[in-house]
Amino acid sequence: MLKMQNIRKSYRTDTIETHALRDFSLEVNEGEFVSVTGPSGSGKTTFLNIAGLLETPTGGEYLLDGQEIGGLSDRDRSRMRNEKIGFIFQGFNLIPDLNLFDNIDVPLRYRGFNTKERRRRIEKSLEQVGLSARAKHLPAQLSGGQQQRVAIARALAGEPRFLLADEPTGNLDSLMARQVMELLEFINEWGTTIIMVTHDPDLARRAQRNIQIVDGQVSDLRQSIAQEEIATV
Amino acid sequence: MIGYYISLAMRSLRGTPILSALMIAAIAVGVGASMTVLTLNYMMSQNALAHKDDVLYAVQLDSWDPNGAYNRGGRGNEMPWQLTYRDAEALLRSDIPTRQVAMHRFGFTVTLEDSEVRPFVAETRVTTRDFFSMFDVPMLYGNIWNEDADTSPVQTVVLNKALNEKLFGGEDSVGKTVELNGEPFTVAGVIDYWNPSPKVYDLNNNPFSDSEEIYIPFGLHRKFQIYSWGNTNGWNSPDPEVEGYEGHLLSESVWIQFWVELDNDTRKKEYENLLTGYIQQQKEQGRFQRPLKFGLTRPSEWLVLNEVLHDDNRVLGWASLAFLLVCVVNAVALLLAKFLRKAPEAGVRRALGANRNAIFIQHLIESSCIGVLGGLIGICFALLGLSGIRMLSMGQIDQIASMDWLMMLAAIGLAILASLLAGLYPAWRISRTNPSIYLKTQ
Repeated sequence: MLKMQNIRKSYRTDTIETHALRDFSLEVNEGEFVSVTGPSGSGKTTFLNIAGLLETPTGGEYLLDGQEIGGLSDRDRSRMRNEKIGFIFQGFNLIPDLNLFDNIDVPLRYRGFNTKERRRRIEKSLEQVGLSARAKHLPAQLSGGQQQRVAIARALAGEPRFLLADEPTGNLDSLMARQVMELLEFINEWGTTIIMVTHDPDLARRAQRNIQIVDGQVSDLRQSIAQEEIATV
Repeated sequence: MIGYYISLAMRSLRGTPILSALMIAAIAVGVGASMTVLTLNYMMSQNALAHKDDVLYAVQLDSWDPNGAYNRGGRGNEMPWQLTYRDAEALLRSDIPTRQVAMHRFGFTVTLEDSEVRPFVAETRVTTRDFFSMFDVPMLYGNIWNEDADTSPVQTVVLNKALNEKLFGGEDSVGKTVELNGEPFTVAGVIDYWNPSPKVYDLNNNPFSDSEEIYIPFGLHRKFQIYSWGNTNGWNSPDPEVEGYEGHLLSESVWIQFWVELDNDTRKKEYENLLTGYIQQQKEQGRFQRPLKFGLTRPSEWLVLNEVLHDDNRVLGWASLAFLLVCVVNAVALLLAKFLRKAPEAGVRRALGANRNAIFIQHLIESSCIGVLGGLIGICFALLGLSGIRMLSMGQIDQIASMDWLMMLAAIGLAILASLLAGLYPAWRISRTNPSIYLKTQ
């Protein structure tokens, strides 16, 4: 499903070059639920941005669904992002002046679906997250948990094969976080591949597989979780 | 997607009403100012005879002072703009032109017997009959006087539609009598509304004034001793042996406007030969002592030669466009501020599948919407500006200080173009922004 081989990503200013990812290699199989942990600044978000085709790596090879990403144009990468990838962000990233219906409509518009098909998908995804009755509400009229469910509905509406979640529970209380996590597990059971970046070891443990990124590289997984558990205790 | 982008644009404009209002105002003021000036220039440069530009010619003969060329304040081609009466009378005898018109401006006091209409002075054109067919004057009632009236005194008159309404309530007045300077004239015909602007056929007087109310035959000069109410220019004294009005008619004073219609190059060549021969003949009689020179000028060239559209107007036109450019630059700054404020939303859209072009087009359409709104308000500003000019000109340029549908469309087009120019850079900037920056920080 996702295969990264010796991926490098560096950011350069006039005087400093920062290596966000160094010889980063990872393979994620279809249907997996993978959690990604690591200290702040370790490269988690950079990995997620590259995986989600929002940024291009400085070097290395990235295959998504069997397709090499390196040579793709912005247009092709955008289409692939629209059709195959769903995003969930810590800050929800809903468009504030669009109601829930219109927010979920955004990726479907770029997909080119007709009105009827868009409506069907929007209503279905709102139903899946239990917010059908709030379709005409603005994001600001919802709680944080509800907003994150809308973001999930937006990600699901395009029926992506690959869901990227960047600390999806980071802005939620524990009850809301548990609900969102249960929703993600439910989605994964349908067959959607999920990669979730999180700081929470409990949530990380609920994934089928956990990887830790340290200094832009994948480190030993079991050891990292054990260390975090000790630290938490 | 265009409809979707337009709805997003309108939503965005409503979301930032003050900023949007400032941008719309910037475009509207620029468009309003430039369209006011451009409309004036456009209307001034109209050629009502454009469809006959290849067959009509204004005739000039250099009968001026042998000691110095004709000078009209540095303008023109150093030839008198009008002909002497005797030259006009002589040229009228030619059968080369399909049509030919000798004419000038005049004024009559009009009275109507047994009527409550009080005597008034009416703008008059003294002309040969070809005037009506040459300049496509539409007839409402009746017809034009007979050919005889061009050379012999026949007291007949053609009224314009407005005067016919004033005198006869708009009825068919053919055969009725009006008094001009106390003399009875029979109405031969009434012309329909006709008001070319500028008046290409007579640029000596205000080229933007209304066309005349009364038309009388050229053959009436001697009977009524008609002088010109337009410009009369001369360079020597009349022959002392010929006194009175006849002396005026035979003088070297130029006051007759002369136009010919020559259907093809052969006719034109023949007419040039005729003019050459006529001048040589006159030279033998002691006239036309300057080098042989005459002019046959098309209507479009006649407008340029007469500088109907002054250089000052052109400069003002450029200045107004420069002002619009200043407004566009202001709009660029405002748009940039607005779009960058919305960069996080663009980032989200990019994450959800929008490519750079989609973001670029979305924002360019938002600029266009601002342009359309600015253009509509700009038209209102331009109409206000033009009505102000009409007030200041006391009705002298009413016809040109008005906007036709073409100029309104041009205003919208100019506004959209201005807003697209203003939106190009901000839209490009926002479409090139790295979305991941905003996704984390939003």
